[in-house]
Amino acid sequence: MNTLTPPENAIELSVFYTWMGGDGICRTKAKPFAEITLKEAKENSIAVSSFFTNKKFPLLIDSTEIKSMARDARQHFSTNGRDTKINSFAVIVKSPLSRVIGNFFMGLNKPKVPARLFDNEEDAIEWLKQYLQ
Amino acid sequence: MPNNINDTNPERVKEILDVIMSFARLDFTKKTTLVGDDYMDAIGTGVNMLGEELESSTISLKEKEQLLKEIHHRVKNNLQIVSSLLNLQTENIVDKRYLDLIIESRNRINSMALVHEMLYSSKDLSKIEISEYIQRLSTGIQQSLSKIDSNIKFNFNIQPNLYFDIDYMIPIGLILNEIISNSLKYAFNGDAGSITIELNSNDINYNLSVKDDGIGFKENFDVKKDSNLGMQLIYMLSEQVDGKVEIEKNKGVSYLITIPK
Repeated sequence: MNTLTPPENAIELSVFYTWMGGDGICRTKAKPFAEITLKEAKENSIAVSSFFTNKKFPLLIDSTEIKSMARDARQHFSTNGRDTKINSFAVIVKSPLSRVIGNFFMGLNKPKVPARLFDNEEDAIEWLKQYLQ
Repeated sequence: MPNNINDTNPERVKEILDVIMSFARLDFTKKTTLVGDDYMDAIGTGVNMLGEELESSTISLKEKEQLLKEIHHRVKNNLQIVSSLLNLQTENIVDKRYLDLIIESRNRINSMALVHEMLYSSKDLSKIEISEYIQRLSTGIQQSLSKIDSNIKFNFNIQPNLYFDIDYMIPIGLILNEIISNSLKYAFNGDAGSITIELNSNDINYNLSVKDDGIGFKENFDVKKDSNLGMQLIYMLSEQVDGKVEIEKNKGVSYLITIPK
């Protein structure tokens, strides 16, 4: 299964592609060697929130090609202290580097909504389905 | 792209070590360079992120220390304002009984203000070295209560490097204030004599002893029945630190207060 290739109607940001999947799960994919600062993190949140109509939704993040994520960006993505339109998120990590970033993010930033790391897309989607409303 | 832990480049290992050394010196300006997506980059990223967390914790700790310092400073200033107000009040009082009451209250406040003053000047902001405190407190009380021409000497025999936190220092300071004040007020008819303060510790207790070589209690003085507020405070404050008070009346008065560790 590959649902992480950005479709034509995906919103293209400086370091992300973001789109809503046909299954109701929002996707965001980091571009190769993405260096994410707070600016890019906020940009991404605005794009993700633009898919909100009246129900919160789960988010699938593909961070397999990420290069770095600044501390304030990690804090922003943890959704602590801000209103968010997502009710859960799964992060796909594969490379050693993305695994380090993912584990830091989960361990030190304690996301406010249910969140988990996965090393494959299928398991991540299966887990997110429980949060579809 | 090498993705094997064995493909380590000595230059990159050295660079990461340099960054770790900088973090150890609390210099967070350096970061490891990331060139790809291999294990060395993963380690470098982990080190960079640990540095960010350490920097943030260090800043937050410094801010908390600054805040604590500021609080002690303000508490001390406020206590000193109260003490100064009481001082001003004494200018209009002619009745010695009221004057004494105000001076006693002022000295109690000063004994607490000194704890806060020493805390904000101390290194870790939570404990102070008691030897310096006792000597400064004694000097302050003597200046406040003794006559100009009196010849009362203090002898100190205090174990060095004994540190107490605020929960102990406030009651101990007030206890000492009461005992020293009592001695200065009642023990020395001829305005000459000595007060000896000793403090030492063993594995179980701190032993605080204050002795004067004055005239002692009046005949038939019953500590429990005839006590003034000062004496009641000595017992109450000792209880606050689970301490035990023993009073001896041989050549002057001697107090031994045992405080469990």
